[in-house]
Amino acid sequence: MNERLSDSSDEALGRRLASELPRHPAPARLRAAVAEGAAPRPAQPAWLTVALSAAGTALVLFLVFLPLLPRTAPADPAERLMRSVVAEHERALMWGARHAGIIPAALPWLTQESGIGLARVFAGDDRLTFVGAEPVYVEGRRGMALSYRDVDGHLVTYTVLPAPGLPVPERRRVQIGRFRPALLNESGFSAWVWRQGDLACFIVSDMVSQSDLERFKDYFVRVRTATEPVPAY
Amino acid sequence: MASDDFERQALQHLDALYNFAIYLTRNPPEADDLVQETYLRAFRFSHRFQAGTHLRAWLFQILRNTFLTFYRLRERETAIADDGVPDWDVPMFQNAPEYTANAMEAHTDLERAMSRLPEEFRTVLLLAEVEGMPLEEVARVMGCPVGTVKSRIFRAKERLRTLLSDYDKG
Repeated sequence: MNERLSDSSDEALGRRLASELPRHPAPARLRAAVAEGAAPRPAQPAWLTVALSAAGTALVLFLVFLPLLPRTAPADPAERLMRSVVAEHERALMWGARHAGIIPAALPWLTQESGIGLARVFAGDDRLTFVGAEPVYVEGRRGMALSYRDVDGHLVTYTVLPAPGLPVPERRRVQIGRFRPALLNESGFSAWVWRQGDLACFIVSDMVSQSDLERFKDYFVRVRTATEPVPAY
Repeated sequence: MASDDFERQALQHLDALYNFAIYLTRNPPEADDLVQETYLRAFRFSHRFQAGTHLRAWLFQILRNTFLTFYRLRERETAIADDGVPDWDVPMFQNAPEYTANAMEAHTDLERAMSRLPEEFRTVLLLAEVEGMPLEEVARVMGCPVGTVKSRIFRAKERLRTLLSDYDKG
């Protein structure tokens, strides 16, 4: 047994550890890296702080007032009209149709108020429930709006307005059976737009996804085939 | 303590911390990372350090906790003996440093024996005997009572003696 093992008391082992165990000093690059991490960042110039907070405030104000800024009216008359119809749909979403009731009973009053008669009208079915009907005033035109709600709670608004010669955007037309309405989008809503004689018809809903679109086509067919608006006067 | 003072004093312990990290990881690149992470945490949480207490113990405590938290995630599930210490011959890491490209070789029997000690034993010996820390500071670093530190030192030396004896016989 060698000298080391013979000197195996706790104290001796402790001394041996302290004196013989190699020490590993930190490499210079580690020292530099740690010192760099500790070094305070150079102070930001005062003007930069002021400029950044001013820019931030301006951005916040811009975002706050952005919805209030007047939007550029689209050049296309159908799109412009559709935008107003969508606004009416939004109002109906928030406040509901003002004149709920059975359509045949309300029809004379509606015709009188809107100047539009309904030779036939879609009164709802198992997919779309009639909610209400009301006269509307859109872009200086009197018209009428009928509201329906589907089984999933989507509000579907059918709006008719007098608009002789309104051009329906050709490139937006979609073939649905024997019909070719145009599909327009505005503010998160979709709208079918078509003309029946001198009347412009719109069906608006918030069904914008691809899967919703198929159902929206079906709703168009149901309403379009069962409803016949005519100018009353 | 002012920030500059704190950083200056903390940097005085860099060599000791690196040495400790080397013996914990047995792998210089990992020791680098461990020490850098330790200092990052120390600087970030310097406001939690109570002036007048032992900065050295606080830094070693951060280093060891970081090691246990991050580096031991890779530790192989070891069989734990009744005394809560991993089994004798099980390497500490899943990728045991002995088997990695960056692993350090042990040049002396003492180093070799130390590298085979369980972390709890290695740490008490490094802190108490190599760094010369008072037992109270060691207890603080390890988060255990002083009595436990004494007992670990005793058992660690026993195992170390056994290992050294085996090397001498071999």
